[in-house]
Amino acid sequence: MNASFVLYMILNTLLVLALAPLFISLIKKVKAATQGRAGPPLLQTYATIVKLLKKEVVYSPNSSWIMRVTPYISMAAILVAALFVPLAFVPEEVGGIGNIILFLYLLALAKFFTALAGLDAGSSFGGMGSSREMSISAIIEPTTIIVFAALAFVFKTLSIFGMFSTSAGGFPAPTLILMGISLFIIIIVETSRIPVDNPETHLELTMIHEGMILEQSGRNLALMELSAAIKLTVLMALLINLLAPFGLATTLTAAGILLAAVLFLIKAGILAIIIGLFESSMSKMRFFRLPNLFAMAFFFSTLVIIIEVFS
Amino acid sequence: MILLALLFCLVLALILIAISHTAWQMNNVCIVLGGTYAAVAGFILMFMPLPVTTFLVASQYFFIDHLGIYEVLISAVIFTLAAVYARGYVDNLLESGELNKGSLKLFYGAWVLLLTVITLAFFADNLALFWILAELTTIISAMLVAILYARENIDAALKYIFIASVSMLFAFVGLIFLFETSRTVLGEGTLNWTVLMQHAPQLPAGMVVASCALIFVGFAAKSGIFPFHTWLPEAHAKAPSAVSAILSGVLLNVGIYGIIRVFAIAHQTPAARALSGILMLLGILTIAIAAFSMLPQKNLKKMVAFSSVENMGILLVGIAVATPLAIFWVIFHIMAHAFTKASLFLSAGILHRQYRSHLSADAPDDIVDVFRFQPLAAWGLIIGGLAITGTPLFPVFLSKLFILIELGAVSLYLVGLVLVLLFIATCALGYFVIINFTRVTPTGQAPEVTPYATPLTMQGPVVLLLVLVLVLGVAFTTGEVSFLNQIVAELRF
Amino acid sequence: MSDAALLQEAIRVLFVVIIITAAYIISTRNLLSLVSAYALQSLTLVLIALSLWMIEGAPVLLAIAGISLITKTLVIPYFIANVQEKIRIKRDIEFHFLNPTTSLLLSMAIILVVYIALSHIMQGTEARESLFFFGAVLGISLMMMGMMVTFSRKRAITKVLGYLTMENGVLLFGLFVTELPFIIEFLIIIDLIILVILTTILTIGLDSTLEDYHKRLHRFHLVEETEEGP
Repeated sequence: MNASFVLYMILNTLLVLALAPLFISLIKKVKAATQGRAGPPLLQTYATIVKLLKKEVVYSPNSSWIMRVTPYISMAAILVAALFVPLAFVPEEVGGIGNIILFLYLLALAKFFTALAGLDAGSSFGGMGSSREMSISAIIEPTTIIVFAALAFVFKTLSIFGMFSTSAGGFPAPTLILMGISLFIIIIVETSRIPVDNPETHLELTMIHEGMILEQSGRNLALMELSAAIKLTVLMALLINLLAPFGLATTLTAAGILLAAVLFLIKAGILAIIIGLFESSMSKMRFFRLPNLFAMAFFFSTLVIIIEVFS
Repeated sequence: MILLALLFCLVLALILIAISHTAWQMNNVCIVLGGTYAAVAGFILMFMPLPVTTFLVASQYFFIDHLGIYEVLISAVIFTLAAVYARGYVDNLLESGELNKGSLKLFYGAWVLLLTVITLAFFADNLALFWILAELTTIISAMLVAILYARENIDAALKYIFIASVSMLFAFVGLIFLFETSRTVLGEGTLNWTVLMQHAPQLPAGMVVASCALIFVGFAAKSGIFPFHTWLPEAHAKAPSAVSAILSGVLLNVGIYGIIRVFAIAHQTPAARALSGILMLLGILTIAIAAFSMLPQKNLKKMVAFSSVENMGILLVGIAVATPLAIFWVIFHIMAHAFTKASLFLSAGILHRQYRSHLSADAPDDIVDVFRFQPLAAWGLIIGGLAITGTPLFPVFLSKLFILIELGAVSLYLVGLVLVLLFIATCALGYFVIINFTRVTPTGQAPEVTPYATPLTMQGPVVLLLVLVLVLGVAFTTGEVSFLNQIVAELRF
Repeated sequence: MSDAALLQEAIRVLFVVIIITAAYIISTRNLLSLVSAYALQSLTLVLIALSLWMIEGAPVLLAIAGISLITKTLVIPYFIANVQEKIRIKRDIEFHFLNPTTSLLLSMAIILVVYIALSHIMQGTEARESLFFFGAVLGISLMMMGMMVTFSRKRAITKVLGYLTMENGVLLFGLFVTELPFIIEFLIIIDLIILVILTTILTIGLDSTLEDYHKRLHRFHLVEETEEGP
């Protein structure tokens, strides 16, 4: 483990932590704007998280240790996963970090514990949220695997670092546009955005993710919210650095990294606006209509594999 | 020149229809146009050396050979007789409010347009041009089906358009294949039938199988062959009877004509075996489906329509056998079937007028006292039915017999199978006629229906067609034989 | 002549756009976006024809691009959108046999099968670059996908759009496999227009009561006014 990698770990984690709440606010702002509202200020999510961190934690008398460890496990898993996806600077690969399969498992670990915590308190809403979350995960799983397999096929590597340095090197293949759509759908599903779930309401009939974290409070809730925000940022970074990698730094220079960070901020901002617009243009889908959305991602990524295998 | 003359006739006819005021005037235009085409075709047939290519503008696109002029003559005759029939028929449609008076010009305009487009299609030398003209016939004839004032007609027309057009697109892909094949072999791509025929033995078999199979899909749908036959009974049953006669007598031939032309090319390559197999399978399946659909049939026009499907199957089997004799009888069967089927639909139309108050779209026909009210139509149906099922003395008998004999050289089991299927179809038709035509009102009771005074113009074509059929079956002149032989020789079977 | 490699790359990107529009046409239930997806697809075809023209320089490609631009991206979509407004149908949510998800999965299989079949069939022809071969595969697949739309939708107007998609597939196939004479392409477009006009008018008939239908026919000036209509 060399010094540049240590530096990368520190920088990347700090950047992710710093930027993640911003994009959540940005998406909310865009959605508010399309509805003709002013919306919360851009720094609102930071304020909410700080406020929550100060509050005391209340546990249900029925809850077990799972409730207590889940926020930390979730946060830790997501932060490690964030290490796998360089935002601004791609270092040399070290150890297994950057492996795409491990990345998926880390996300799954966080999701698993979140779902368990939803069940743990014994409230009916939490159970409902968990059961829905798991059903959707089960349906989206094949799609996710195919999408990432297609990525591995296109770049001929399993490492996300390797993919980024390849894509930063040259003109992206046209098939990547298809991958971009698939990844976009995965972002929407994984971060519980509108056609799948509505992140803003606590309407008992539609909530999925909110249902699971309904019993969390105080700093535990802050951790859960923050880890959800980081997950969104990480997935967005994956999409951005594969499709529009220009400016991505591959050598360790202060100016290069600074420029890359600013460029990333702009690109991710644009993507967040796109997500916001997409969410406002859709209405929530019926649960049983969801496979159609997943099939679309599945279709595109399988097509990519077909093209890659045969030509 | 002939092309220009045709177009001139068309434009003149359209103008005359546009300025005429009564249904009869428009009808006269149609009769005269049909008659003119028939006369011109007869003239070319008698007095001009065939194939004619020099008289045409853009001679790589159009030509006239024996098969083309033969088909044109058949269609012109049927169109003329159907137009005569339509005079009385349309009057009655107007009276009963099934046809809007405002749609009359559309009806007759489409009629002359269809006649001209079909004639041009049979004269087309370029296969792509033929494809487009055939596609146009679908659209125009669908318009004729949809002209009646009823939702079922629109349904049937849409079904017809979609099935036929979608399949025709496959045929077009096949044509693109054929074009590319010819380009690799001849250096310059062509879809000209005469050129392709000359160079056919050089074409690579694999590409020919693929392209011909695709082309067959399109033309099979156009002539109601098995997997694509579903539009046929509905469109035939819902259309005005004069139009049904054209659909069955002329339009189905367009598809079969295309299959014959393309198969004539494929026949000279090693691809013929595989394609024959496909055609044979489809043909027998078509006969089977038609026979079994006829059994429970309660609607007269649907019954006759399924009989058309059956005959298309027989034609396909004949083409698949592909011996010169089989093709000879296939060509003959095209004519025999066209005239017989036209007469059947015209007779059915008279009954349709007589009993229409009891006829809804799919309901069984309430035919009562048929010999008292419509003796001519009843006898027309009986004689036509006998003719179409292949009774001796009628032309269909000859062609069916010889196609079966030729099939025997391929496999006797297939002959047995087809015979059983034909027997089933015959029984279905016979049963239907016996059940419906013997139904009488008990004596003493007043009949519920008022007799429909069938005009002479509706009876005339039926009689004429039946006489024509009988003559065709009995008198087999040497001129006819040598003419048909020439067609077979031109197709190089 | 521009840089051929860059143009080929551009064509690959356009292929991707075609795939996306096809998937959208298969799965959307909103009729208006169906029409715009079709227009976008046609526009992509026009761009492909233009790029091919810049590579090969055959004037027929330019002519095809021009006529497709006028008819398929402007006239036909405008006409259909107009008709949709008249019959006031916004959504087509009924499907025969196949729902959109199944259709998507099926079209994947179709692309694979077409790929394998075509590579067998076209062995005999002159050796082709992978770009041209893939164009042909895409053309046939697009056609099959259009056919699925035609047969799985219930509304006639969506069937028409399926048919139009099929025709786009045929055009794509023709562009990449061979050069048909322009007169043929032109006649096909004419045929297409007549078909679209007729079917949409019939559709109006299906989707309204019959009295309404005849009133509307008058509006389209297809039938002359009559006082003594039944």
